[in-house]
Amino acid sequence: MHCASGAESCKGGIQFTRFQTPEGFRDLAPDDVAKYLFVEGEFRKIFGLWGYREVRTSSIDYFDIIRGGAGEGFTDSLFKVQDYDGKMLSLRGEVTTQIARMLTSKARDEGRLFYISNCIRYLETRTLLQREFWQAGAELIGGRTVAADAEAIALAIAALQSLGIGDVYVDIGNVALFQLAADSLGIGDNCAIRRAVASKSIDDLRKLTESDRIKEALSYMMMKRGGPEIVREFSEVTGVGKEYPEYFDGLFALLDAYGCRGRVTIDLSTLREMKYYNGTVFDIYSGGLGVPIGGGGRYDCMMREFGLEAKATGFAVSVDLCVRLIEKGMGKGFGGGAKEVPARIMYRDGFQGEAVLMARRFRAEGKACTVEEFDESKEGFVVGPDGIMAWAGSGEDRKVEGRR
Amino acid sequence: MKGIIIAVPNKGRLKEPACRLLGGAGIKRIDDERAYLSNTTAEAVQILSVRAADIPVYVYHGIADMGITGRDIISETALEVYELADLGFGACDLVVAVSADSSYRKPSDLPSGSKLATEFPNVAKRYFNDLGVQVEVITLRGAVEIAPVLGLAEAIVDLSSTGKTLEKNGLKTIGTIMTSSARLICNRISYKTNYARIKALVEALRRGC
Repeated sequence: MHCASGAESCKGGIQFTRFQTPEGFRDLAPDDVAKYLFVEGEFRKIFGLWGYREVRTSSIDYFDIIRGGAGEGFTDSLFKVQDYDGKMLSLRGEVTTQIARMLTSKARDEGRLFYISNCIRYLETRTLLQREFWQAGAELIGGRTVAADAEAIALAIAALQSLGIGDVYVDIGNVALFQLAADSLGIGDNCAIRRAVASKSIDDLRKLTESDRIKEALSYMMMKRGGPEIVREFSEVTGVGKEYPEYFDGLFALLDAYGCRGRVTIDLSTLREMKYYNGTVFDIYSGGLGVPIGGGGRYDCMMREFGLEAKATGFAVSVDLCVRLIEKGMGKGFGGGAKEVPARIMYRDGFQGEAVLMARRFRAEGKACTVEEFDESKEGFVVGPDGIMAWAGSGEDRKVEGRR
Repeated sequence: MKGIIIAVPNKGRLKEPACRLLGGAGIKRIDDERAYLSNTTAEAVQILSVRAADIPVYVYHGIADMGITGRDIISETALEVYELADLGFGACDLVVAVSADSSYRKPSDLPSGSKLATEFPNVAKRYFNDLGVQVEVITLRGAVEIAPVLGLAEAIVDLSSTGKTLEKNGLKTIGTIMTSSARLICNRISYKTNYARIKALVEALRRGC
């Protein structure tokens, strides 16, 4: 290899050991997979109980379709490849846009869908997420806005509770109400003000504007936490969004009925990254972790992008972070299924066929087993000239039971 | 009562004023000076002493619930944390500076491909990206102001409170990227799950500012 700089590191190309995976990617060993399967299994059960049907979206999609749905800023973080005809493709980085597309074509009659899927994005790994991460999500299409929003929030909480994570909370905001207030205050797309609101920096806000009206309205938005009374007061302070108090009253009444009282809080500075949200949005979190476990919200506008006049809301939670929470002892454990050890059937010379017959009987009865050559250091059943015997491994009293 | 951990710089210009502010609010370390995590005179409040540059990381991950560090450092790490108060002290500007005899008068005058030395590579890259000027960023760990004299870089991005250090090293400021000061930051989840206590703490610390 020619190397103009003559640097030592150029000699072998990129340096890595053969044990490494690329940064942000990893292999899951059987014990890890068992944990993931447990979490995914609980989610499948809950989503099924709520009448949701599972979908699988394609791993690779047209970049332009995803950009149309999820927005420019987000698509910067997608892994991209080029198709043989020059079209730009991207690896699945989120699922909601794909589901919106599916609803306009393959799943026109569906109203409740869920997925459990890996996604790949150029994320900085220091933010707890790997660049390949697993998420579970549900999408609810149609229905009355308030009823659907309440169902999505309640299902997100129920899904996490099914893992035994008791410490689950949801913060609710509304991007449409935020936009109404921003327009009425004349701050439109002022990035510095939005940043101040998102980081709850009252002092930055005070420096960014002279207007007492803006300061009062936005301080209220940033600092208040509570129930629907927050929205009523906010609407009175700003004079915008007169219809929102009634909506939030209805939402909270339904969330009460779902048993979510004490778990949901309105924080009007809750905003989300994707541009497709256009109504109520929410963050899902647990006291056991420093970052949100998931989130979601209403995205009727994106449905319109795909030519469908339909309402839609949904959410996604991180399977990786759920596994991490249970590992930290915040859940009910991994259900004991994490380490199911198959029985070992060992054969002595000439008795392999008999061992296989025995394995067939085991499996027919639903018992897991493997067939291996006899090894006196291992435990299992031994098939040999003495018949079948249970073997306790090397050490004292090996022969436990004989059977012809 | 659920405990609160506050991360405080263990050295540097923010350490003393941060400790004074906390002391004024009745939060004083009581354990050995060398202990990273110390109990305090306040009930269920611990102080974590770490480098100012690492404080956003500890707070982002929820290891510490709150922290005191510079706005410049928060911007550099670009981690999402709440900034609940501007504590006022540690005020300085993050500036772009070049040799005093240089003809460049503003950052956008720098030609594409200019070398730029800094302790704040992420902030510098974002700033020059937004200006549409491509610069080659060289990350240093200190004494950035000598880079132009030694010929390592044409410009620097560095903190300046009075401008004297820059002047002494034959440099002039041609632009300010941001004004920084010490901030009281908070983990986004701790804020929600421990709202009443954190709110009370913020109010107590604001009174001391």
